Amino acid sequence: MAEYTQALCREIAVQGSLLREKGMGMPATIYIGGGTPTVLPVKLLETILAALQAAFGEAAEFTIEANPGTVEPGLFPRLRSWGVNRLSLGVQSFDDGLLRRIGRIHRASDVRQAVAAARRAGFANISLDLMYGLPGQSMEQLAASVEQALALQPQHISIYGLQVEEGTVFARQQEAGRLELPDEQQTEAMYDYMTSVLPSAGYERYEISNFARPGFASRHNTGYWRDVPYLGLGAAAHSYWEGQRLENPAELSAYMDRIAAGRPAGQLEEPATREIQMGEFCFLALRTARGIDKAAFAVKFGRLIDSVYHRPIEEMKGRGLLAEDESCLHLTPLGMKYGNIVFEAFLL
Amino acid sequence: MQTKNIRNFSIIAHIDHGKSTIADRLIEYTGTLSQREMEAQVLDNMDLERERGITIKAQTVRLDYKGKDGQIYELNLIDTPGHVDFTYEVSRSLAACEGALLVVDAAQGVEAQTLANVYMALEHDLEIIPVINKIDLPSAEPERVKQEIEDVIGLDTSDAVMASAKTGIGIEEILDAIVAKVPAPAGEDEKPLRALIFDSYFDSYKGVIAHIRIMDGHIKKGMQLKMMATGKVFEVTDVGCFRPAPVDLGELGAGQVGFVAGSLKNVKDVRVGDTITSMENPAAEPLPGYRGVTPMVYCGLYPVDSADYDNLKDALEKLQLNDAALVFEPETSIALGFGYRCGFLGLLHMDVIQERLEREYNLKLITTAPSVIYHVHKTNGEVLQVDNPSKLPPAAEIDFIEEPYVKATVIVPNDYVGAVMEISQNKRGEFKNMDYLDVNRVMIIYHIPLSEIIYDYFDKLKSSTRGYASLDYELADYKAAKLVKLDILLNGEPVDALSTIVHTDNAASRGRQLAAKLKEIIPQQMFEIPIQAAVGSKIIARENVRAMRKDVLAKCYGGDISRKRKLLEKQKEGKKRMKSVGSVEVPQEAFMAILKIE
Repeated sequence: MAEYTQALCREIAVQGSLLREKGMGMPATIYIGGGTPTVLPVKLLETILAALQAAFGEAAEFTIEANPGTVEPGLFPRLRSWGVNRLSLGVQSFDDGLLRRIGRIHRASDVRQAVAAARRAGFANISLDLMYGLPGQSMEQLAASVEQALALQPQHISIYGLQVEEGTVFARQQEAGRLELPDEQQTEAMYDYMTSVLPSAGYERYEISNFARPGFASRHNTGYWRDVPYLGLGAAAHSYWEGQRLENPAELSAYMDRIAAGRPAGQLEEPATREIQMGEFCFLALRTARGIDKAAFAVKFGRLIDSVYHRPIEEMKGRGLLAEDESCLHLTPLGMKYGNIVFEAFLL
Repeated sequence: MQTKNIRNFSIIAHIDHGKSTIADRLIEYTGTLSQREMEAQVLDNMDLERERGITIKAQTVRLDYKGKDGQIYELNLIDTPGHVDFTYEVSRSLAACEGALLVVDAAQGVEAQTLANVYMALEHDLEIIPVINKIDLPSAEPERVKQEIEDVIGLDTSDAVMASAKTGIGIEEILDAIVAKVPAPAGEDEKPLRALIFDSYFDSYKGVIAHIRIMDGHIKKGMQLKMMATGKVFEVTDVGCFRPAPVDLGELGAGQVGFVAGSLKNVKDVRVGDTITSMENPAAEPLPGYRGVTPMVYCGLYPVDSADYDNLKDALEKLQLNDAALVFEPETSIALGFGYRCGFLGLLHMDVIQERLEREYNLKLITTAPSVIYHVHKTNGEVLQVDNPSKLPPAAEIDFIEEPYVKATVIVPNDYVGAVMEISQNKRGEFKNMDYLDVNRVMIIYHIPLSEIIYDYFDKLKSSTRGYASLDYELADYKAAKLVKLDILLNGEPVDALSTIVHTDNAASRGRQLAAKLKEIIPQQMFEIPIQAAVGSKIIARENVRAMRKDVLAKCYGGDISRKRKLLEKQKEGKKRMKSVGSVEVPQEAFMAILKIE
């Protein structure tokens, strides 16, 4: 772990000086994610935070993800002292039985303690992740979780449905017939419940999966959907730079070898053609409530969006999935449910 | 070249038994092409032909061979198309020959498909030279296969050539056998010209080029010639042979095989089976066996993208230059928009044309289920020819409907007679005759509605006779039948392109099966889609396609973007061939669903 931290710090330092050499601005946002960076001992985490501060200075929005079950006492004040100002907690549910069923190590009480500790340390921007469609989850359980989440008054809530991915424990259980997922109707009812109850509690749905109190939309994540370049650091991190997408080796040893050899870790995923760039620009922007900014498209690609996508736009509007106003094209509430149909239509 | 030194022959073989390889070796051995010039399998030169292992257009090549007697012989190989749709073309190619090589795989033995062509060759009195190919295979059993040829076909195999086209074994023996056994053509140079057209193709510089065999007389550059059936007159600009590229020789004499070209712009003027004669000294009678081209099967072809309508028209026109059997005219469907009603010789012909349109002209098409031509007698005495079920008049205006019947000839080993009769009976066939060809093999003749043949008769026949049945059919007559139009409604709206004409007795079961099949084919959409089958105003079956699952809310951050895009692309790929019919997205397959039901 120490070795990896060292390699990561070296990458941070090198990329920081490259930015400076090229006279580029420093990043406005930093996000330490990948699930549970808080499994790192505080000392190592602080080494990374120090490296980040040395390389990039202060960021306006500086988020760290944390698992409520791995919060060491004293962690939050340390994070605050390094300029971290936003906390994203992987809560998933407030039902302890359900948490155990999905293999989480924390309990609902850990979440409440973590939020309280963060607040005491001065975190004024806290986000909670919730999941629906979990094995054995009932509508009542979900409603109770949402209620408890709201009671903690977070600034931001993300919701994700369970997707059984190949090769996971859930996939094996599903094959063996031991995974009792809510059926289609129940899952849709859960979706409908959350997408109506959160806005009425004052959380605006600014992206398909994300809800925030006014002014608290994640600036960092919004960048992904608004075509802002980003620099990914660490194993398996992705970068988006000059229109191309790069990926660091996912394998720790491969990553460390490259860093040790003084080579850039990022490798081009696949050369992005203009068609790919347009498709990504659109489907990512369509995830947001604001949608595709037509002027931004024209500026970036030198063509009016209607000249490229006239037919899909008309078709999707005709099917009630897409709406258009003076400046933007955005999903309708129905389109939010069937986003994939619209996204596909925008791929060239 | 004296006619006594000419040999005209074709090769009869089952798919994969090595016809093309043998042809290649013969070309190579006689030095017609150097090895470097040889493209593997020279004769099947359309990609599609190579992939399907079938020959659609006849190909011809002249080989010069120095025989054992030291004389130079002119060997003309005429490669024949190999499918029941093209039986007539095969018969014309065989009519141009005096002999045929019967190539049989030493491991596989005689296959059903070969038989029909062998019998046709025997009908034309061709000398047949058995060639046992692939004798180098470890599993080869040449003696057993020879015995089988004797038993099944009744040919003497004592002189059969043992060959391996792959390694070159037996190629010289084949050439010597052709010289020794195939009779020289009988024609005379001085008689009035009679040349048989057995194929044609369109060349953008020279116009239509006719493949011909001169039976009597001769052709020289500059002569005025006439097509005896179509009446077309033209002046010869090119006359020669194929090696395998066309070589202009200035003339061809009696018994020779080659091509003739001259100011022929339209492939319709150059009909397979027609006789060419000279204007100056015309023959009294044409050669026997001419038959006009009559499409048997019709279907609608529609561009998935309506902007491709003109491209489809251009492509059809170009294909028609080379294919007199292809006919088409514009038609409109409420469901599918603007397209063409196209007529074909049979289902394979239809498939081939559709695939060429898609591959060579890069068109995405929706094909409707094939239909035959119905004669609809209306109560007011009018008779309509209906080749599109949606054009059937309302039931109240119909007095009666006649449908085409074919005479289907099935040749099958004895053990499967029961199976053939059962299938034919189920397909509304009328038994006509049965003959034992030898102790083992039986020829069964049925009159069957053509519509049943184009559905799945051949598939059923093959599967229940383990591939041993061979089928040949020709149009017999029209007969009155109790037929009704079966309509399909999607989301309450009738879809004209899904209508079919079925026998009254089958309407209910076909309706149920079709609705069930469509339920499998039509993907879930944002709303529930009822599928109904109806005869007139009576609903006879109903199914529902459930509404599609909503998206699961998923993360899409920095590391997820490429993966997400690829996932979307993959899903999109699977959906390309869809047509919006009203508010329902219908995949191409749905229009062919009627062919997929039991």
